[in-house]
Amino acid sequence: MTAVIIIAILLVLLATGTPISIALGLTVLTYLAVFSSFSMETVDIVSQRLFTGLESFPLMAIPFFILAGTFLTEGGIATRIIRFAISLVGWMPGGLAMAAVLACAFFATISGSSPATVAAIGSIMLPAMVKHGYPKRFAVGVITTSGSLGILIPPSIVMIIYAVSTSTSAGKLFIAGVVPGVLLAAVLMAVAGITAWRKGFPTLPRAGSGEILTSFRAAFWGLLLVVVVMGGIYGGIFTPTEAAAVSAVYAFVAAVFIYRDLRLRDTLRVLLSAANTSAMLLYIVTNAMLFSYLLTSEQIPQAMSAWVTAQHLSPWMFLVAVNVALLLAGQFMEPSSIVLILAPLFLPIARTLGIDPIHLGVIMTVNMEIGMIHPPVGLNLFVASHMARMGMTEVSLACLPWVGVMLLYLVLVTYVPEVSLWLPKLLGMR
Amino acid sequence: MSTVLRALNRLLDQLEEWLIASFMAVATLIIFAAVLHRMSAQVPWLWDYTGRFDFTWAQELCILMFIWMAKFGAAYGVRTGIHIGVDLLVTGASPPWRRRLVMLGLLLGALFTSIIAFLGARWVLFMHETGQVSPDLEWPRWVIYLCIPFGSGLMCYRFLQVFYRFARRGELPVHGAPAVEPMQPMEPAP
Repeated sequence: MTAVIIIAILLVLLATGTPISIALGLTVLTYLAVFSSFSMETVDIVSQRLFTGLESFPLMAIPFFILAGTFLTEGGIATRIIRFAISLVGWMPGGLAMAAVLACAFFATISGSSPATVAAIGSIMLPAMVKHGYPKRFAVGVITTSGSLGILIPPSIVMIIYAVSTSTSAGKLFIAGVVPGVLLAAVLMAVAGITAWRKGFPTLPRAGSGEILTSFRAAFWGLLLVVVVMGGIYGGIFTPTEAAAVSAVYAFVAAVFIYRDLRLRDTLRVLLSAANTSAMLLYIVTNAMLFSYLLTSEQIPQAMSAWVTAQHLSPWMFLVAVNVALLLAGQFMEPSSIVLILAPLFLPIARTLGIDPIHLGVIMTVNMEIGMIHPPVGLNLFVASHMARMGMTEVSLACLPWVGVMLLYLVLVTYVPEVSLWLPKLLGMR
Repeated sequence: MSTVLRALNRLLDQLEEWLIASFMAVATLIIFAAVLHRMSAQVPWLWDYTGRFDFTWAQELCILMFIWMAKFGAAYGVRTGIHIGVDLLVTGASPPWRRRLVMLGLLLGALFTSIIAFLGARWVLFMHETGQVSPDLEWPRWVIYLCIPFGSGLMCYRFLQVFYRFARRGELPVHGAPAVEPMQPMEPAP
């Protein structure tokens, strides 16, 4: 009953169009004031959590990674990555579409955010694809969908949030995301390529080895960042947060001094834009944590856990339920709050059923990817609709076939845990 | 709006932007320096110089700066319209209802942030009484927690500002990806 009341308050508040973070926080306050035995103690806990909820060093990787991503986006790395991707696969059937996916995958290795990937790659690739005779709808679908690789291929903001809310290792989760990320990129490339080939979309002339080498050299400093981040974390040189700080400084140096696409005085603008995005995310985190605290203090995780245990669900049935719940939540919330609220609910049950927390993290991330290309709160859709000057409905329809592809992929990731767990196991991260 | 108020608003805008941008920059540099410092321990001759510095406070300071950045940045975010909501009902509604819903949404924002500012202020006073200090830097906790009443208060002010502008001119800040000209020339790979 309690859970129904809480969700009802949340839905009513969300319907007004007020920011999701505000709706989450107000739900907590409303519930405490109206439906619970009001006590000053709970109010004090709430006030304290406003600050202590964020007091976590692993969480601080988020602003750092956002800053690094903003420097690289504004600093012209996207253009160079795209040129390299085109030189590699542009000559194949549906070459530009495949290059768009590949460029998104490359960019995802330096950015932890999906909308940022869509914006960085899409702003260049979309006009290019349309110019070469690709239907706009197809181009928008490809880019919006492959932009979601941003949160699956490490670094990833969603994974950091999962790690913080479940006390798992963000480094390990990053490593676990590598194989699913690369595999998804390959699947999307194949689907894009085959579709484009069957519809007879144009291809580009084959790039010579000279062009491949030149474009690789141009993109090199951007691509090296993934080696710094992943190598540093895996080699135990630094924590994910420190890796993020190092990559922010690295991205600044690359953008301002190596590529020189960004002038020193642009730095303030980049800092401000990164701070804007980070603060928005951290504000959601604070309020989602309050919400999560409310659920815990009302014993909802325990009740849910007991109910699931009583149903004698087998692991695969539980995972179906998890996926359905996440996809439904993805309809009206954004990824950070979903992960913060639902991960602590799912994890204890998953543990008793023998599902690896890292595997669950990857499943949740793929679910969040689908939520991002699905209306009404698909963040990628917002970005794409702005960029392509297309309405939300049209962009959503353009992505619909891709949602199908992603759902099939979700089934694979859910029921073949090795996809996620093989690499961490191989590297001895147990 | 009077000239004085407008000048004050501009000052507030600049202070806010300057504050969050510097928190971002300084926190990054501190953690970067702390990493370099730790790595320099591997190099004996370098450690002779760097070993006398102590960076144990770096993590705490970084966290504090980012929390301050987050609290004031959230207010900045209201001004730039970056806080997303579910606009399904809002966009689907008829214009007069759309207007009412948007105004309601903004007022809810102002309501929530004002309650939080009040709760935060209460908590600051309580912390002041206990006299607690932070573990590494040993700064008084009540000063550190000031970001909640101030940040949330500013955010409330921003919501009211946006509300006022919407009520008068029907404008809402919209945060979106940088709009790109539909056909940007791009050289195909040779």
